[in-house]
Amino acid sequence: MELISDLINYFLNNYDILFGFTAEHVQLVGIAIIIAILIGVPVGIYITTNEELAETILQITSIIMTIPSIALFGIMIPILSIINQGIGFLPALIALVLYSQLPIIRNTYTAINDVDPNIRDAAIGIGMTTFQRLRKVEIPNAMPLIMAGIRTATVLNIGIGAIAAFIGSGGLGVLINQGISRSNSTMILAGAIAVSVLAIIADLFLKYVQKRFTPKGLNS
Amino acid sequence: MIQFQNVSKIYEGDVQAINNVSFNVDNGEVVILIGPSGCGKTTLLRMVNQLESITDGEIRLHGNNVKELNKIEMRRNIGYVIQSNGLFPNMTIEKNVMIVPDLLGWDRKKQRDRFHYLMELIGLHPDDYRTRYPHELSGGQQQRIGVARALAADPPVMLMDEPFGALDPIIRNRLQEEFLQIQREVKKTILFVSHDIDEAVKMGDKITLLRKGEVMQFDRPTEILNHPKNAFVSEFVGQDRVLKSMSLYSIKDLSQAISLKQKVESNDTKTIKEDTSLRIAISILLNQEADQIIVLDDAGNNLGSLTLDLIEQFLHKEVKRTEIK
Repeated sequence: MELISDLINYFLNNYDILFGFTAEHVQLVGIAIIIAILIGVPVGIYITTNEELAETILQITSIIMTIPSIALFGIMIPILSIINQGIGFLPALIALVLYSQLPIIRNTYTAINDVDPNIRDAAIGIGMTTFQRLRKVEIPNAMPLIMAGIRTATVLNIGIGAIAAFIGSGGLGVLINQGISRSNSTMILAGAIAVSVLAIIADLFLKYVQKRFTPKGLNS
Repeated sequence: MIQFQNVSKIYEGDVQAINNVSFNVDNGEVVILIGPSGCGKTTLLRMVNQLESITDGEIRLHGNNVKELNKIEMRRNIGYVIQSNGLFPNMTIEKNVMIVPDLLGWDRKKQRDRFHYLMELIGLHPDDYRTRYPHELSGGQQQRIGVARALAADPPVMLMDEPFGALDPIIRNRLQEEFLQIQREVKKTILFVSHDIDEAVKMGDKITLLRKGEVMQFDRPTEILNHPKNAFVSEFVGQDRVLKSMSLYSIKDLSQAISLKQKVESNDTKTIKEDTSLRIAISILLNQEADQIIVLDDAGNNLGSLTLDLIEQFLHKEVKRTEIK
């Protein structure tokens, strides 16, 4: 019981700090996801035209996924030190963008590939250009799956973003980090809960966005 | 007009899909491509709008070699209907129907008017369907929308790949009738793939019967049925081919070729309109409902009577062109 009252007191006394860390966390994950979408969705669409390339790209993204985040940060320190960015925001951002690629690329690739071939045939047969076909037919019909990939990537990134605090990226991970070094379990718990709540809220928000972006005719 | 001139297609590994095919689809005419599975009928159709490449020979559209035309532009000038309707699930019915006019940049007003016209043409109320989505419609309605979409930009030529193949027989029959009605109004040049000889006989001005990529016979339905060129054709059209061909003649055709029997006055004899098909007339006669039926014109005047003997005479004289033995 003491733990819970401590926790409540902690939240009440430190809500300004918490908001600050949450804002940093949202900023890091938000920017990472936007960049990841800008890279992942076009790549996912492009590789539908080349099966061999698709195989290779998906394999690479899977391998990236298996690298532990701490190890990935470690690898980036010497590389990014060349431009004096060994620790901090940039390596964290790069790591998050890399981790987002598997769910985003794979879902986009699968979604576009799974568009009913008859629909694609009709689109070509009535004289759409490749770009028109993508924009008017394939992407709208692939939207639910693409959005699902983005949701997975976001939740994943919120978790990994907490670990990035170890290399000085800021965010809610700082609470956990400091809690560990001070043996303050309340702080650790507060950080962990905040990360979880943020992940749930982000997922619910994206679920709403997904609904908005899904064409009405697909809700069958 | 679509002209096929010695058209061949060879797939990788020397698989001959289409072998030296030549025939024409004249303006305003429906030509049915028919044959057993794997005969290349769909491939041949898709070579017209270049969804399939042409290995050898030429396909000419209004005199132009399709290979030399801009693919995108050419396709927008060809109505394309496929079996599974291919409607875009993410678009409303209006957007679906108006997709080609939209690609061509028609203004809003013109699109609205055209949508109204087309929906009336296919017998669906425009305002009831405008904002609905394909998945909310029945199979028959979806296929009607598919036809409307193909007609949207008023293309002179239409390609139809088993447009009614996935529908149940009753709905299919109704859509065939409706389509013939529409065709009488719009008079498009149509290449139509079917696997159903009854459909081919009913819908086609001419039929191209394919086997393993080769044309077995290209002719009017009556000729295909009554004068099959070879054993394959006669087997394909079925042993009841003569009966099938009877559905293509009306009693009027018969009465113009050979005269009906003298007027008879009898109370219990059945009557029939002169525009009824001979197939139905035979069916009534065989059903022993009557030995003879009184033929009436539209005004209800007695034109004479019809018997099975007369039909047999007509068949030999006009259809098979042989003297009765």
